[in-house]
Amino acid sequence: MIESLQLLGHGFAVVLTLDNLMFCLIGALFGTLIGVLPGLGPVATISLLLPATFALEPVGAIIMLSGIYYGAQYGGSTTAILVNIPGESTSVVTAIDGYQMARQGRAGQALAIAAIGSFIAGCIGTLVIAFAGPPLARMAQSFTSPDYFSLMVFGLVSAVVLANGSLFRAVAMIVLGLLFGMIGMDVNTGMPRLTGNFIELSDGVSFVAIALGLFGVAEVICNLEQDISRTVTSSKITNLWPSFAVIRQAMGAILRGTGLGTVMGVLPGGGATMASFSSYALEKKVSRTPSRFGRGAIEGVAGPESANNAAAQTSFIPLLTMGLPTSATMALMVGALTLHGIAPGPNVITRQPDLFWGLVASMFIGNVMLIIINLPMIGLWVRLLRLPYRFLFLLIVIISSIGVYSVSNSVFDIYLMIGFGLLGYLLRKLDAEPAPMLMGFVLGPMIEENFRRSMITGRGDPMVFLERPISLAFLLLSLALLISVALPFIRKRREEIFQDEEA
Amino acid sequence: MKTLAAAVMSFAILASPAALAQEKWPAKTIKLVVPYAPGGYTDLTGRITARFLEKELGQTVVVENKPGAGGIVGTDLVAKSPADGYTFCVCSVGAVSVAPVAQTTQYNPLKDLAPISIVSTIPQTVIVNPKLPIKTIPELIAYAKANPGKLTYGSSGAGGLMHYSVQLFDARTGTKMLHVPFKGGAPATAAVVAGEVDLSFTNMTDALPQMEAGTVRGIAVTSGKRSPFTPDLPTVEETGVKDFSVESWNGIIAPPGTPKPVIERMSAALKKMAEDPEVKEALAKIGATPVFTTPEEYQAAIAKEVAQWTDLLKEIKTTKN
Repeated sequence: MIESLQLLGHGFAVVLTLDNLMFCLIGALFGTLIGVLPGLGPVATISLLLPATFALEPVGAIIMLSGIYYGAQYGGSTTAILVNIPGESTSVVTAIDGYQMARQGRAGQALAIAAIGSFIAGCIGTLVIAFAGPPLARMAQSFTSPDYFSLMVFGLVSAVVLANGSLFRAVAMIVLGLLFGMIGMDVNTGMPRLTGNFIELSDGVSFVAIALGLFGVAEVICNLEQDISRTVTSSKITNLWPSFAVIRQAMGAILRGTGLGTVMGVLPGGGATMASFSSYALEKKVSRTPSRFGRGAIEGVAGPESANNAAAQTSFIPLLTMGLPTSATMALMVGALTLHGIAPGPNVITRQPDLFWGLVASMFIGNVMLIIINLPMIGLWVRLLRLPYRFLFLLIVIISSIGVYSVSNSVFDIYLMIGFGLLGYLLRKLDAEPAPMLMGFVLGPMIEENFRRSMITGRGDPMVFLERPISLAFLLLSLALLISVALPFIRKRREEIFQDEEA
Repeated sequence: MKTLAAAVMSFAILASPAALAQEKWPAKTIKLVVPYAPGGYTDLTGRITARFLEKELGQTVVVENKPGAGGIVGTDLVAKSPADGYTFCVCSVGAVSVAPVAQTTQYNPLKDLAPISIVSTIPQTVIVNPKLPIKTIPELIAYAKANPGKLTYGSSGAGGLMHYSVQLFDARTGTKMLHVPFKGGAPATAAVVAGEVDLSFTNMTDALPQMEAGTVRGIAVTSGKRSPFTPDLPTVEETGVKDFSVESWNGIIAPPGTPKPVIERMSAALKKMAEDPEVKEALAKIGATPVFTTPEEYQAAIAKEVAQWTDLLKEIKTTKN
């Protein structure tokens, strides 16, 4: 502990040079910017900036590139709240209540709480990297395919909780999402599946295309039905800053979200996404007034936003302590480190203490910078909502198209986005919510991959899911959650039947 | 209509070298398509190559990532790109020599691609989980034979090089190991560390840091010669496995019909690149060795690999039946 503190002090000494502070600031600024622009993600930006870091010292380069990554998590919620466009899978649930708050004129509150939650989560996440990195990495290592499968099943059941309307529609939407997730290359044989001979679909439907289509484009189409001279908020923009009471209301959600995110961020593949989804489900479960969710509940913004930021921070743990990347962005970091002559592996902490502790220290400073950058911007973002829709929707469509294209330089993905926009419009007309569908889409392929891998390593015996304690625990949790969701529903149905009989 | 299109196309093919002879190549930005995601081994090689070519050819060279289907999407795109000398592929062995045999691709690697030069090679390293009592290739073979079907190996996906090199190993040694596909080489390596699978034939870049830390045990390299990065590790062939040489390469490939002068100029530039000390150093950092081949040598290498994988596939099919 004391040794860690000393090393952390050393880390601050590394960062507190003019150069490294500047790289940290540049990273935070770039991160905020691309986080705000829908579709433009850290992967595209980091790969664009990677060649520019060739000439830099490795520590400065990594500080900057990391800043882009966690900075993007701050900005990611902005468009989700303002215009109902989640740019990344982690902000899908933020859009549900955040956008409702914006429509009620409480966009400023939502954005401020998202920023404050992100800051708290970011700092706690960084503390965890500094003091509990290696043990957490070992915990993540004990997760094998059957455990992931059960965790994802739990996530899928939580997706049902996301729904605010009809349970049947929510389940139907999850299944639709699972079906879209089936498109692409079959994991075990490498053969294309449901791709309709489009080679562009061989790696599946792009998440960004489906998210921007279902949310962003569909939103624009819906608004075209109405008077386009109007603005997003129907009501007057009130209280730009959250009152103390609101902050206190959100604090529990922020801390619970941070806890979830810190643990789940360490897990490879969808850790951050799972964290934000399960945080939303948790808040709705623990709330005394779950009916407020979907209608602008501040906890629905505070929890998931804190969860995804904490996860963004702790997702560095497997990379820094084991040299094992857990996401596309972290794989890019491996590339960046390797280019700078540092082979990321289990020995990085002892061999490159400057890098590890410098990076950790820079994360504290970066988070402070981010909150300083983000809070004053809120006024500006909220003013953007006063922009007449005829300008705003043009901006949305253009920026979304650029974002979708930038993911893998593919025009095909823009067409996909338009297609999903039309589907999203149709679904809205049918009163079906897109969030559970996206959850099914994100989790489906991971469930399949881990299920099939478990069956291979388990030699075809489904007992593997029950023999492992972690896996069994998640399956039991899923069952409990399923019952708790289904019971009130069944009771309600019975009441309805009784009412029918009485009438 | 078809004949018209054919006429236009043949005219275009005839006309382009003439047009090129008039202007000096390169007259505009050159595009290097990398058929993999940014940050990976091929991407880094592509960026190092782009940086050198910019200096050497005095023209902007941009890297464009076109990931998808284990490199098939980007390679297919280059095969269909205009042969004007401004689009090249930083291709990799998987999509050029393995995928067309193992899967279906719209391009025939021997006809629809114009290889110029391999720029770097990197061997695979045979890594096993250190808990296993396996320290050499003969021990691996003995263990696999004593416990048939028990050993599992991770790969970056079905039909990739990591999958097929083990299939080749099985065929050459008469062993049978269970394939567990992952999505990419890094998670497959992580699975060996965690003990979820027993071994994998992993890219040297991924394997080296884990081997140094002792989280996995390296027992051999798959290339024909030992690697300068692991001089102590024998090649698989050295340990007595006949006719086994697998190496991952990255090379510059042009669309078919690219004018000869362009290919020759590019080839000369790449020859210079293989000698460049800066490039050597940059490639060494990612665990790769600079290489130069003539277009003819490169074409022959691909043909040999395609034949090797085609034979292997036939062998597997006949033993299954």
